[in-house]
Amino acid sequence: MELMASMENTDKSLIDAHRKGDPAAFGELVRRYGDGILGYLIRMSGNREQAEDLFQETFKRVHEKAHTFRGPQFKGWLFRIATNVALDGIRRSKHNKAISLNQQLDYDNPNSEQLGEVVTADNSCNPSEQASKAEQTEQVRRAIRSLPSRQRATLVLAYYQQLSYTDVAEVLGCSIGTVKTHMFRALRSLADKLPEI
Amino acid sequence: MENHLTENELIEYQFKLGSQEQQNASSEHLAGCAECRQRLEKLNKRFATLDLLREDAHVSEELISQVMAQAKQPARQKVVPFYKSSWFGAVAAVLIIGFVLLISNPDTDISTKQQLAEEPEPKGRTVRKESGAKREAETALPTRMLAQDADAKMGLPPADKLAQEEAPTRIVAKETSDLTDPTKGSARDVTAVEAVIAPTSKPIPEQPPFAPASAIELVTMPRRDKVQLTIYNSADLTLVRERRNLTLKKGWNWLQFMWANTLIDPTSLSLEPLEQAGKIDIQQLVFPARLRELGRWLIHSEISGQVPFEITYFTSGLSWRAFYMGTLSQDEKTMKMQGYVRIGNNSGEDYENAQTRLIVGQVHILDEIAQLARRQYPYDRPGMMKYGVSLNERDADIINGAVKGVYAAWAKSPEELSRKDIKKEGLSEYFLYTIEGTETVPNEWGKRLLSFEAEDISVESLYKYDEQRWGNQAIRFVKFANEEEHNLGQTPIPNGDVKIYGHADEQGYLSYVGGTSIKYIPVDEEVELNLGPARLVEIKPKLMDFKTENYTFDNRGNVSGWDEIRTWKIEITNTRTLPIDIEITRGFGTAYWTLQSETPYEKHDASHARFMLELEPRSKQTLEYTVRTYHGTREESFRQ
Repeated sequence: MELMASMENTDKSLIDAHRKGDPAAFGELVRRYGDGILGYLIRMSGNREQAEDLFQETFKRVHEKAHTFRGPQFKGWLFRIATNVALDGIRRSKHNKAISLNQQLDYDNPNSEQLGEVVTADNSCNPSEQASKAEQTEQVRRAIRSLPSRQRATLVLAYYQQLSYTDVAEVLGCSIGTVKTHMFRALRSLADKLPEI
Repeated sequence: MENHLTENELIEYQFKLGSQEQQNASSEHLAGCAECRQRLEKLNKRFATLDLLREDAHVSEELISQVMAQAKQPARQKVVPFYKSSWFGAVAAVLIIGFVLLISNPDTDISTKQQLAEEPEPKGRTVRKESGAKREAETALPTRMLAQDADAKMGLPPADKLAQEEAPTRIVAKETSDLTDPTKGSARDVTAVEAVIAPTSKPIPEQPPFAPASAIELVTMPRRDKVQLTIYNSADLTLVRERRNLTLKKGWNWLQFMWANTLIDPTSLSLEPLEQAGKIDIQQLVFPARLRELGRWLIHSEISGQVPFEITYFTSGLSWRAFYMGTLSQDEKTMKMQGYVRIGNNSGEDYENAQTRLIVGQVHILDEIAQLARRQYPYDRPGMMKYGVSLNERDADIINGAVKGVYAAWAKSPEELSRKDIKKEGLSEYFLYTIEGTETVPNEWGKRLLSFEAEDISVESLYKYDEQRWGNQAIRFVKFANEEEHNLGQTPIPNGDVKIYGHADEQGYLSYVGGTSIKYIPVDEEVELNLGPARLVEIKPKLMDFKTENYTFDNRGNVSGWDEIRTWKIEITNTRTLPIDIEITRGFGTAYWTLQSETPYEKHDASHARFMLELEPRSKQTLEYTVRTYHGTREESFRQ
């Protein structure tokens, strides 16, 4: 369900307004797509802190490259930028591996903040169920992180962001066949790694 | 069936990765092969774990403001290191040649320099020395052009026609430059300015714009600021009140509301401005014929800018149930009780940071909201709000329309809604639980929330033995009252499941004692929780003696009455380390009986006697009694 208004705030008009220097338009775009992009980046990076950095970088690039947007779909264009930023970021973080003490703690402690998202979100079950769910969530997260970045991007876009394969192909700048191949390989690999419920 | 599908083929089928022919072939095979269907199901279960990461991320306001601050800085220019350029060699060569030529023609150089020195200053510089508006006009020329362009797209007259109304346009120009200036106002300020920019000088046309049913471009509005859910569990009914800040322009506005894939009752939709009510008129709600599951409000606004609105509607699919956890103290004389509420959301909509209120009690509704939600266009009975009529008239319409009772009580203004809560308490038909703070209740999620916690509730542990009800075993009960003396009694306790734990040892480890379900407990009422069979309390009744006597005969010499005398010995063993109270109920199958026993008893009802015993820890006790029952004509002698 969405609440909409037939005002002049289409993506196209917002990006045009932004190009003309209307910061409110840019703010509207950030709010409109912020949640989706952040979710995508969290799943890509597996780490909220890094995802927030990538999020800022994504919208910085949107701001800088707004003049290059030719349409028709802003969402696809935005996800393409986010994908490039994410892939760059993941590549960089592989080279400069910094270990956050907090993050270390996250892995050790199932009740810490990182897993807490899941634990607190569904506190309907008893502690042992929560712990087991947190463990399963962590396994899924690890399984996704183990995928090569292109496969991961394909999976996240198609499965979590629910983009069609055609849209994923547009975002990743490749053919639908390539997208399907990436998707298949990702799923094939996950089938062996995902926990059993 | 031969040639089962491989796992790869199943994956391809499930995620539609193969060609259409492959999909069809797999589909055909699956239709006739139970084994493959089972394998597919198993595979799906495994991939379902991916949904554990399906949680939505939400961007914090802080992050948005950081992004906005970044956007206000000038766009970064891509810097290509000079030495990396492929043209480096060529440019260097040209420079060297130029330098050589310069040295070879020194006179030309000097004359050029002189020529340049004699030339007048550029016009732009002269203008800059002028004061006031003209200077601003000259320097602002590029941005003015942008503004004109923007105006043209917005359907405004060109800038020169707005000479007298230049101020708003100038603001646009100013804000354009502000984007690159981090010291200027925030994005929110600009939104306000933008609101002022709206064509204020234009008269509002009297006729509303036509709401085309075609798919015009529509835009998502800001997310909800606040949302309140009032869940009536007994009727699969939830009242949703949302507050959203909508940016209106002066004049006519179409506002679109979509409820695809949700269980919202479209006829219950209501929209009210929370501010500037006198200047905003909600004219009508239309359901365009060719567009399914959406409605459009026509709003006439005399102002432009952000206005908070409240949208209310009914939905189904949200439910709640209560359950409780009691922890007995070591001496089992007090209990800590925690009440929880589990809220399930299958309404098709995520409710973020919702204030959640739960209604205890039965409500009467005419139609199931779930059914109302599934109606097809034009949504059956016209339960649509009439705007511009008094509240009473509107209520009457609603009552005549779709839902009676609750519907009429709740489809009112926010002020009336809050007053209604108090009324409901007065009527004692419902009780309203408001969960402290806000909760996010995503679709298809369940969420458990703590509803109350009470320490040191006085409880009585009691064992009961009644062969006719529970067979040959003692049943354990915990008894307490929902009253202030027992540290409860603030609210009624909704029906739900209770689990009782005991302290297994001094380290505080808990052991499960038993569980049961309770019915609604009003304030000041007592409740007994049946915790199931007690394995540590053993009861063995033995019939020690049986005889009949006092026979009476009728005229023919047949037996017409007699007494039966039974002597029972009941051995009760308490293997617990705590003293216990036990209630033993004995039934005699007749209302004509007398009983002899050294242990005191009470007549529980016509055919039952009840003994109350106290047993020390790890002890045995014997209860003996003799019961005489009267049969036939002997019953009369009993009455006498």
